[in-house]
Amino acid sequence: MKEIDKNSMLFRLIHDNMKGANIGEFEELVLLVAGTLYDDAYGLAIMNELEAKTGRSVMISAVHKALVRLEEKGFLKSRLGGATETRGGRDKRLYTLTPSAVKVIRQSRETRNELWSQIPKIVLQGGKI
Amino acid sequence: MKHPTTPPATPPQWAVRFFHWFCNDHLSDAVMGDLNELHQRNIIKRGKRKADFIFVINVLLFLQPFAIRQESTSSQNQLAMLQNYLKMAWRTMGRHKTYTAIKIGGFALGIATCMVIYLFIRHEMSYDQQYKNGANIYRVYNDYQGPDGGKWTAFPASMGPILKTEFPEIEKSARMIPFVWFNAGSNLIRSEDQVESTYEEGFAYADQELLEVLEIPIVYGNPLKILTDPNTIVLSRRKAEKYFPGQDPTGKTIVLNDDPKKTFTVGGVMENFPPNHHLSFDFFITLKGVEFWPGEQASWCCWNYNVYLQLRPDADPAALEKKMLSVNTTHNVGYLKETGNKSAADEEKYHKFILQPVSDIYLKSEGISDAIPHGDLRYIWLFGSVAVFILLLACINFVNLSTAKSANRAKEVGLRKVVGSFRFDLVRQFLMESLLYSFLSFSIAIFIVIIALPYFNSLAGKSLIVPWNEIWLWPALLASAVLIGVVAGMYPSFYLSAFKPIDVLKGKVSKGSKSSSLRGAMVIFQFTTSIVLIIGTFVIYRQMNFILNTKIGFDKEHVLMIQGANTLDEKQTTFKNELLKLASVKSVTAGDYLPVSGTHRDQNGFWKDGKSKEEKVVGAQLWHVDEDYISTMGMKLLEGRNFNPEIASDSQVVIVNQAMVKAMGLKNPLEEKIMNWETFSVIGVVEDFHFESMKEKITPLCFAYGKRGSIISVKIQSRQMTDAVESITKVWNKFMPHQPIRYTYLDESYARMYDDVQRTGKILTSFAVLAVIIACLGLFALSAFMVEQRNKEMSIRLVLGASVNSIFRLLTQNFIMMVFISFVIAIPLGIYLMEKWLNDFQYKIPLTWDVFAMAGAISLLIAVLTVSYQSLRAARANPASRLRSE
Repeated sequence: MKEIDKNSMLFRLIHDNMKGANIGEFEELVLLVAGTLYDDAYGLAIMNELEAKTGRSVMISAVHKALVRLEEKGFLKSRLGGATETRGGRDKRLYTLTPSAVKVIRQSRETRNELWSQIPKIVLQGGKI
Repeated sequence: MKHPTTPPATPPQWAVRFFHWFCNDHLSDAVMGDLNELHQRNIIKRGKRKADFIFVINVLLFLQPFAIRQESTSSQNQLAMLQNYLKMAWRTMGRHKTYTAIKIGGFALGIATCMVIYLFIRHEMSYDQQYKNGANIYRVYNDYQGPDGGKWTAFPASMGPILKTEFPEIEKSARMIPFVWFNAGSNLIRSEDQVESTYEEGFAYADQELLEVLEIPIVYGNPLKILTDPNTIVLSRRKAEKYFPGQDPTGKTIVLNDDPKKTFTVGGVMENFPPNHHLSFDFFITLKGVEFWPGEQASWCCWNYNVYLQLRPDADPAALEKKMLSVNTTHNVGYLKETGNKSAADEEKYHKFILQPVSDIYLKSEGISDAIPHGDLRYIWLFGSVAVFILLLACINFVNLSTAKSANRAKEVGLRKVVGSFRFDLVRQFLMESLLYSFLSFSIAIFIVIIALPYFNSLAGKSLIVPWNEIWLWPALLASAVLIGVVAGMYPSFYLSAFKPIDVLKGKVSKGSKSSSLRGAMVIFQFTTSIVLIIGTFVIYRQMNFILNTKIGFDKEHVLMIQGANTLDEKQTTFKNELLKLASVKSVTAGDYLPVSGTHRDQNGFWKDGKSKEEKVVGAQLWHVDEDYISTMGMKLLEGRNFNPEIASDSQVVIVNQAMVKAMGLKNPLEEKIMNWETFSVIGVVEDFHFESMKEKITPLCFAYGKRGSIISVKIQSRQMTDAVESITKVWNKFMPHQPIRYTYLDESYARMYDDVQRTGKILTSFAVLAVIIACLGLFALSAFMVEQRNKEMSIRLVLGASVNSIFRLLTQNFIMMVFISFVIAIPLGIYLMEKWLNDFQYKIPLTWDVFAMAGAISLLIAVLTVSYQSLRAARANPASRLRSE
């Protein structure tokens, strides 16, 4: 295989994009919840789940905003489907995680785990130095 | 809840609609679904009202860029589409070159006309807007509202000073004499060290304050002391450069009319009057120390001065007008009572002094007689509406041709829709196309304007320029190009984008016939406009012809007017006699008064002898003429005799015109005597002749005997015009070697009085021609299109034995019908408009049917000629070659 030319246009493009693709705490939560809801991950359901799991009150607009941004960054894919009567016959926009999203949440989890495991027990037990 | 069984309550619909309006397609449905679901849940949990409230709040919370903006991926796509639209437009243009040329050419013509007329109107409206103090500058005029009322601007000499001293709200008052009077008007002029005098026009008398009130910039001299000394004169910059090139002429001496006793000191140089100033003088002679005859300055007998006022910023002009009534009572009425004049009571009742803002003088002086040229607000309206109409004609061509050619675009529209284009995209595409046409037309129009402006200037007697340096020009052009493109493209784009793809692709769209009635209406509109303009042109030319060729009471042909003859002084009689010796000269008369404008006038009040205290005054001209005047002018003496130099008492006699006889009620004119401040016996009656414009009635006039004047008029044998001029010049040069001869022809001077009529005629003709050209372009293209549409039908008819004649008739009768309808609409319009125009004239032609018939015939002929080219081609083509393809 040829070695990747680090100066090539393509490399720089992808690299730069990855660098810009950081996600915030709220966005990470949305990603995780979308993952848990798997097949029925749409705006309102994600909001409900977030409220239930975190106990915070979340605005529906905030959720959609995060979803749009995550989709733009390439962490989510969306399709339309699942209309019901209570929705006035309108489709849901259903979101699924992309491989890069999986990579990101996995990475963040590993980072946390690693850091977690390095915290001395005495700190966790609330002892004084 | 009272109604538990009601179907799921819906959220407030206005909020839903609002949300769908602002939200992008990506989220619109999905989010509204979410909101609906939430709303349903909230109704159960919190009740309808609270749920609605939350719903609205949530909708408003979506007013954020992420929900509003379009998908970011589309911008690139849009650019590509834009390119595609342009490419398609370009190809369509190329495919139908004639249509494209007609569309763009017609459009460009219309737009160019509009631009020129806009420049004209802008110039007319820009008069007297330049003053810093403009809101406080006024001209005073008289308004006599009684019987035989009128408005005029002349006042007695003391009016200005009286106003200034009596009313503290008047900051400055200035007097001016703008008409031909003593040295005002025209003079021969030279600087002291020059030998030859030059003829110059544009002299007026003025106070120093006039320069200050009218804020005339001063180039040389002390701005506050330019005209304060007696016998001073101020020159305009261009005249100063002519007579004193490259120097400051302040303090130099100027000689008028070669009279060494009458010298003037140059007090300074003023800036040239801008072209949009209601005045345009080159010389102001000071009124300081001037007294035209003893007691003239204080007396209220004679009204010769115009008065301008500069008010204090806090002054109330309406209140001042009221206060000025007292001036009328004390001075005018006072004077009349003192002299025992009968009209004193009427003057007190009806005479008012009115303040006119300086910015109104140029355009809004209808009915006020003054001696300065004016614009006419009605012509601004006329030209403005003509411009709008011509632009409309061009837009109609555009719409008509675009919709007529729709069949060619239908497949494209159908296909675009099939592959997923929304109607909005198609509207945008067609609007883009019409914008492209509009921009092309605008660029061509700008070239047309550059080329045509000098012609228009000479037609209209203006000096318009394209204001290239003004920053608003390009943005304004751009904006109007967009506006016109959108307006013209609106209908075609909605029409074209409405095709249903299924119909189009099945070939069902009837080829452009759908809106043929609308197209017909538009053609009718175009031709109505053209016919009205043609009628207008005809009527104006007829009236002009009438003015120039009707019996006017004197013979204006073959009369040479030698100007500036006052410098001959005592030699005038010898000069006259010398001229009479020439074989080509019939008769010669010397005097200041001629029946054309620009010569002297002298308005006087007359009574029957001894009745000045009992009877009302009759205003009449008093002209001093010599014994050869009546014969030289070819006037007709109806009664009595001419002046006779042998009879000494002829210095106290007059010859009156018929209007005078009527106005004074002279029963036996030859036995009557009349008086102003002297008494005259009437010795003759001359037939009425026109000495003012035909817009006015012939007014009373009388001739008194005089001998000299500044104009020597020579009647020449009709066949020897050029020879005569040559020999007369020789005689003149013998008498006046240092003064070149300056002459005009009486008939030319007469025609010049109607310059404005002639101008209007010429301008309207050009408009009519333009309108007809644009309408014909449209008609030509439409007929070509129609012929194309009915190609097969015609071929089959021909095969089945139709004659060329019948085919031709079939194709043209439709259009002829349209022209006929336009004709019927245009006649009442034309009658109404032309009656209005002719009302300006006291002496006018009647509106006869033949004018309309001619206008109709011409438009019909033009229409038939336009259409027949295409029709004949269709009728004479070989049907076989066109049917072969089936």
